Amino acid sequence: MAVVPTISADILGLLGIVILLSALYMQGQTFVDPTIRAISIQSFMLTTLFSVLFVQSGDLNLLYLAGVTAVVRGVLIPTVMLRQVQAFRHSLRETGTAQRIPSLVILGVIMVIGGYAVFRAVLLPILPNPLISVPFVLLLLGFLLIVTRRNALMQMTGFLEEENAVLFAGALIAPSIPLLIEFAVVLDILGVVLVGVLLSATRNVLQTLEAPDLEQLSG
Amino acid sequence: MSLLPREGVEVASSLAAAVLTVGAALAMLALATSGVFGYFYADGLTRTMVITISSIYLTSVAYSVFYLKRIKEPLIRFRWYYSLLDLFVFTMLLAVTVNDLGFVWIAVEATTVTSALLVALERERTSVEAAWRYTLLVSAGLVASLLSVILVFYSQGTLTISVLLTRTAASDLVMAVAVGFALVGYGTKAGIAPMHAWLPDAHSEAPSPVSAMFSGILLPTSIYALLRTFVLLDGSPAFEAMRNLLIGFGVFTALLAAVIMGTQRNYKRMLAYSSMENMGIILVGFALGGVGAVGAVIQVVAHAFAKSSAFYEAGNILVAFNSKSMAAVQGVIGRLKVSGSLFTLSCLAVTGAPPFGVFIGEFLIISQAMQAGDFLVVVLLAVAYVYTFVGLNSQAIRMVFGQRPPLQEDGSAQPGLQKESWLSIAVPLVNLTVSLAIGLYMVPEISQAIAGAGL
Repeated sequence: MAVVPTISADILGLLGIVILLSALYMQGQTFVDPTIRAISIQSFMLTTLFSVLFVQSGDLNLLYLAGVTAVVRGVLIPTVMLRQVQAFRHSLRETGTAQRIPSLVILGVIMVIGGYAVFRAVLLPILPNPLISVPFVLLLLGFLLIVTRRNALMQMTGFLEEENAVLFAGALIAPSIPLLIEFAVVLDILGVVLVGVLLSATRNVLQTLEAPDLEQLSG
Repeated sequence: MSLLPREGVEVASSLAAAVLTVGAALAMLALATSGVFGYFYADGLTRTMVITISSIYLTSVAYSVFYLKRIKEPLIRFRWYYSLLDLFVFTMLLAVTVNDLGFVWIAVEATTVTSALLVALERERTSVEAAWRYTLLVSAGLVASLLSVILVFYSQGTLTISVLLTRTAASDLVMAVAVGFALVGYGTKAGIAPMHAWLPDAHSEAPSPVSAMFSGILLPTSIYALLRTFVLLDGSPAFEAMRNLLIGFGVFTALLAAVIMGTQRNYKRMLAYSSMENMGIILVGFALGGVGAVGAVIQVVAHAFAKSSAFYEAGNILVAFNSKSMAAVQGVIGRLKVSGSLFTLSCLAVTGAPPFGVFIGEFLIISQAMQAGDFLVVVLLAVAYVYTFVGLNSQAIRMVFGQRPPLQEDGSAQPGLQKESWLSIAVPLVNLTVSLAIGLYMVPEISQAIAGAGL
């Protein structure tokens, strides 16, 4: 990586910290709509980060990526998800999670510290940019959000967080990766979200109609 | 074309597309097509995957004509079903033919989007739940393989497969880490343990033609994607370590699936675990290389035909008995004479009974392990093989030849809506015959392997 002006490095570091804090905020939420808004804000912070990297490197790919991230992840996907929340008000809040929130946040903090330690030990020698530790930890937090929640939309925000982490890592590690791939990734995510929304809508309808018979999905 | 709102058009257009695809695949085989063609790349592995994907596509479309009659309230219209089936196959074909690792990832990820609604077609709570788990777990897992793509680009400066293959072995640690991420990501989609949680749910809840495609061609497509990254390490210092990692995951998958299979109460889940076991062994074969890789290719093709046959037969049983429970489905042979016999034979074929193709594949893989002196691998694979063979076949025989229970009114073992038809028998019979033919054709490979292994 080229030598960067100190101010850019400071801004990037600051954005990295704020993105991590947004992830921890999501970890501490039981309501669905603030979590969706948080992922939207996180995507806009990522947009800012890509813009700073563009100013720093002059690589046009990063500017395009910033624009696509803002439109698709900052606006479009959260809007689709929030409409889903409005359609099913009864599932606005994740059930059975409220009591576990303090321990989940502590688990998130432990994951941040542990993830950073693993990054330093394993990945820093081959990827010599300490800022890459942020997407690495973000990836773990996204995964944690998926596995600790039962609400489909909450799980989807975890998936979006994971994808944010990979785009973040991609911009730092290989910013010149072909643009077409980045666009396709974004479209693909849109597809996953649309399928997810359709399935979660059907799931909500069926939950209100049928007795639990999910034991068949075990073993 | 399948989307046109006119009855019968969806089936006709999907069948036509499938026939054309099989024709193109046969032409590729006959002409031994290889090299770079614009954005595409073909070699022997590509040709094998293309013919396998197209053939199972054709038989699944044909079998759907019979199977879909049992679904009264589908999640999506049948014309959407056929369109998504076409798109699903398109994404798999793209994954195995495109000349760019980035697009391979996109195509594999797109298989999830195109197939998720197919899993939930029957619109039962369990099938929708299974489809959701499938979408989420696989998509989340595939994020790791996207990281792998980024790392390959960082290390090599290109993602073009034909260019990457001509380079001398990539020796840096970044590439080794990339293979590790590819294993986690594509391994999730291929049902490699411990990332396999979605697999039994999706296979058991999807309609039988879709289960057949998942098991026969989707899982090997993901293994193909993993291989394309793994082979870039060949000849480098890190290769041996990553090879052992792949073998470890493969053996663990085969053993775990073999153990869990014996405890199943749902016959479609049992077949799903059998697929997992086969994928574990195939991964070991590719990682071993040499005759093992030949065995893995044979097993990919033979397993695809045999397992699709088993899933079609499972569909016939489900249609007739209206239950997936092994306890409720007993005495199949009394009600479905041909399907009962074919189901038994298909189960024998997928568990590696000679002379079916899966047996040849597994034999060659174990021979290679023996030749390489990996005796622990030989022993563990043999244990998985025997455990699966006994576990699956004993349960299948109990279902087919067991005492037929009285019909109940609470929904279990009720008479189904349809009996077997010529179509529901012909399609699995063709696939089972192909699996047998592969085995018989490949018999000379055994003598060569025996000579090579010094047995």
